[in-house]
Amino acid sequence: MSIKAFDLVPAVERFSLMSDKAKTQIECIDVCGKNLYIGTNDCFVVHYIIEERTAPNGKTSFHSNKQGHKYLTLKKPIVQLKAASALNRILVLCDFTLTMLNMLDLEPAVGGAKIKGVTNFCLNDNPVQGNPFTVEVCVCVKKKQVQLYNITDDKMIHVKDISLSETASCIGLDGHVICAALTSQYCMVNYDSGQHTDLFPIDLEHTTPIVKRISKEEFLLSGPSALGMFVTSEGISQRPPLQWSERLLSVGYVKPYILAMNDEFITIHSILDQQQKQAIPFQGGVVLNDFDGRIFVASSKEIYSLVPVAWEKQVQGLLADKRTQEALDLARNANHVGLTKEKFLKIFRRIQQQAAFIEFSKRNFEDALDLFREGQVDVREVISLYPRLMPTSSSYQRCMPSLHDIADINQLSHSDQNIVGEYKLFLISFLESIRGTKDAHGFKQEIDVALLKLYAENNSPELLPLVEEDSGCDLKDCVEWLEKYKRYHPLALLYRYHGETDKALNIWTRLVNGEIQDELFPGFSFVVDILASLSDHDLVWKYVDWALEKDQELSIKIFTERPSQEPPSERLRPDTVIDYLHRFPQAVVTYLEYLVFQKKLEKEKYHTHLAVLYLDNVLQLMKTNNIKKEQIDMARSKLRHMLQMSSLYRVQLILGKAKEQDMHAECAILYGKLEDHEKALKILVHKLRDYVAAENYCLVNSEGRDTGYRKRLFHILLSVYLDPANEKKDLLVQPAMNLLNSNVADFDVAKVIQIIPDNWSIALMSQFLKKAIRTNMHNNRMTRLERMMSRGENLLIKQIGIEEQEDPVVMTEDRPCAVCNRTFNEPSFVRYPNGIVTHIHCAKNKHVCPVTGKLFSTTSS
Amino acid sequence: MSAAVPNKRKADAKVIILGDYAVGKTCLISRYIDGKYGQHESTIGAAFFLKQWGSYNVAVWDTAGDEKYTGLSSFYCRNAGAAILAFDLNKSTSYESLWARFLPLLEHAKEDCLKVVVGTKRDAMNEDDREITIDEAIEFAKEINKDIDISKLNGEPYFETSAKTGYNVSKVFEYMFSYCLPLDKSFNNKIDGKSTIDLSDDSNRAHRGKSCCHKQ
Repeated sequence: MSIKAFDLVPAVERFSLMSDKAKTQIECIDVCGKNLYIGTNDCFVVHYIIEERTAPNGKTSFHSNKQGHKYLTLKKPIVQLKAASALNRILVLCDFTLTMLNMLDLEPAVGGAKIKGVTNFCLNDNPVQGNPFTVEVCVCVKKKQVQLYNITDDKMIHVKDISLSETASCIGLDGHVICAALTSQYCMVNYDSGQHTDLFPIDLEHTTPIVKRISKEEFLLSGPSALGMFVTSEGISQRPPLQWSERLLSVGYVKPYILAMNDEFITIHSILDQQQKQAIPFQGGVVLNDFDGRIFVASSKEIYSLVPVAWEKQVQGLLADKRTQEALDLARNANHVGLTKEKFLKIFRRIQQQAAFIEFSKRNFEDALDLFREGQVDVREVISLYPRLMPTSSSYQRCMPSLHDIADINQLSHSDQNIVGEYKLFLISFLESIRGTKDAHGFKQEIDVALLKLYAENNSPELLPLVEEDSGCDLKDCVEWLEKYKRYHPLALLYRYHGETDKALNIWTRLVNGEIQDELFPGFSFVVDILASLSDHDLVWKYVDWALEKDQELSIKIFTERPSQEPPSERLRPDTVIDYLHRFPQAVVTYLEYLVFQKKLEKEKYHTHLAVLYLDNVLQLMKTNNIKKEQIDMARSKLRHMLQMSSLYRVQLILGKAKEQDMHAECAILYGKLEDHEKALKILVHKLRDYVAAENYCLVNSEGRDTGYRKRLFHILLSVYLDPANEKKDLLVQPAMNLLNSNVADFDVAKVIQIIPDNWSIALMSQFLKKAIRTNMHNNRMTRLERMMSRGENLLIKQIGIEEQEDPVVMTEDRPCAVCNRTFNEPSFVRYPNGIVTHIHCAKNKHVCPVTGKLFSTTSS
Repeated sequence: MSAAVPNKRKADAKVIILGDYAVGKTCLISRYIDGKYGQHESTIGAAFFLKQWGSYNVAVWDTAGDEKYTGLSSFYCRNAGAAILAFDLNKSTSYESLWARFLPLLEHAKEDCLKVVVGTKRDAMNEDDREITIDEAIEFAKEINKDIDISKLNGEPYFETSAKTGYNVSKVFEYMFSYCLPLDKSFNNKIDGKSTIDLSDDSNRAHRGKSCCHKQ
């Protein structure tokens, strides 16, 4: 799993001192801006200026220029040096002594401040105090302690001693936290809170202790078994360890890579997945480190820089190797210097799209789907991979520069039909997932056409909703395709969607006729529904004939189930329709029923027509032999219902026909309609002997009339029962009695008694008479009760009236009589209803007001 | 690679798995995280997975069982809220080293670290050849957890699992997660796929009632 993340580029070649002594070797380096400092094993500090240049072909090269050098006269190697640009100083560790040199001329700093006994030091890159002209430094001293100093350009101020359990050989500093490699283990010390945390053991035999601060509050330490261990300032790890090689010398970090050097190789691990990404052979390395985001590495004589390959390039490399996940991770975490967020997103989307096509070609459909969606790929680019799925009208050209090297899915699948099928299923789910989202905006036609073609191939039921509503499918392409796969019903739906209903209906008629087949077609009733809702009435007429020939009952719905908001039209006037329907007796009945019962059209013509048709039907059935009685009964009850319910038909016409056929029940109803109740009841009683029906007749026909009418009807019935002219009148005594004693019947008792035959015994009549008396008594009492209650109410109202009118008469000494105008000298007086007050003797007539002459009622209440 | 993206998000709790070499620690975790069973190389140092638990993220640390990494394992135990002590049901020595070698490592874990004893490779065990009895293991599991309150948890901190068949695997992790990060009722409902609150569910109410008077 390799990747080219860095290029090794020489920075200072053939480093040499003036004397060019063969023995002189690089011990340590530091780079600060353009300044590069070298510490040698023979106590020299050398200053170079380096310049980085990028050639037009993207290659980076360095030009170095030696500025000067300084011999420290200690004859010991320079162990560590570190530039502090804020102070304009370099900190140099040599012979256990930390001193300062001027950054430019390398002369010792004024004052000569120094710290003795130092084995190692480090600067705080995350200082805790705000002074920019002070550098916080931590030094390891030989004793079991480390010391903190604040260093200014001329002073080294001792801040604190921190004692440790063992002597520290190597330290890192971040904020208040010191991470130190001791002789047997690493430890983390917070010098502010005083907390000591032991980390893990060091195996000094096999491992060089390394403490590398990689970011705020995070260190990288070299652990046992060549592991690179991440530790946060809290002393815990948030990343898995790196597997390094043995004998590691030094480590650098440039986001997102950890570079580690041993005596043979520089290995590069990604901090993202902890995997090794690159190994660069590099023999005799002395020191490697990152300096303000740049990596420099030194062997004993030369200095190189590791120039990061542009992340875009690395990503493309990974994509070329089809390592999509790594590519995406890298792109997400790379240093996006110089890119606005929008620009980066644009680049990133393109990477996602490329990755998507790679996953697509690997048939990792789940990942591909996510990436296609996240990368907002142009859906046409995907569809165009499938031969013949794009609409023919589309002039889409694949994206340039190309996102992938896929010719089409046949190439990917090597024409294996199973794989092609998988790809097609994927496209379906992809298109379905974006259909209707904003990603699909502007590509509706392409998406819908492609879906239609795929569905048509699979014969998916999804095809129907696709063509029925809000479809982007155009006719040109799809018709051909649907015909090819014999998807006739969807084809008809598509025609209909595009307003070509005639063509659609043509297909449906063929489907119904069985000339063509489609299992998605729901059947004849579907066509009827379509016709019923069709607003083009000419077209309706065109197909009505065919439909009615097929099935009258069903097809009549075309007329009876019109949309409720449809405006009345000349072409579908009831008269026109009825005229047309002559040929279809069943249909015409249904249609008339619809007009009469549902639309409740009150036109004599329809009602008579329907009644006649019902009657004809009954007659027809009666003539036919071998017909079941129930069927006739059904037909007759339908007729009777009609006759009873409606009163608009021409009674005489029906009556004539009914009489001819001895249809007594119908005749009774018809006579009822003619108010010829005696005839009607006679039929019921004598012909049909249906006494219940007769009683019922009285009730039905008196509905909504006054009780007198009702009494009259029942009386007629009774007289029919008791008709002395009837020979078999004895047979009717029982029904007559039943009627008399019935709870629902209502009689004028006096009249009843008149027609009761004289020979009937009182016993026979007793029940009726008792009931009659009781009822009359009851009525009598009820009436009296009502009268008295009304009177009471009247009194009450009168009282209220009086109370309303009541007014006190105020008599004062100076109130004069209205007649004589003199004052009253005794308590009695007269007051007229209109308020006039006089002396008693002045009131000549109590019915006439003496002042106004108004006449008052002479009757006392 | 699975660790790459979640690295950016901070974990709300940390659980760790310890146990002898080749008892199947990585298999157990990968069965839970990826739902897959397969061969794994021996873990170097440690590995790390992030798992969504309700609205929380839980860091699951896999350690190397090899003796040479013991020093590191104790470092990775730091701050762990719960630990799996895994042993091979078919190897009594792996059970013994739990007590001898791994329990002391948990000194650096949180004070109230839940220690779940987990027997692995249940599928390969024949009940007749059982070397460690269930009672014995439960006794051990209770003993090492005696300082923390596990009464509100559902069951004893001992499980027998099989990463091969998936038997009991999710249970172990859910047991630990619900100890470290008790989800409120609504989340539990989401996990169970229920949308209504069952007022008559006494067992859960009892748990909730207790939880307020215990140290978390």
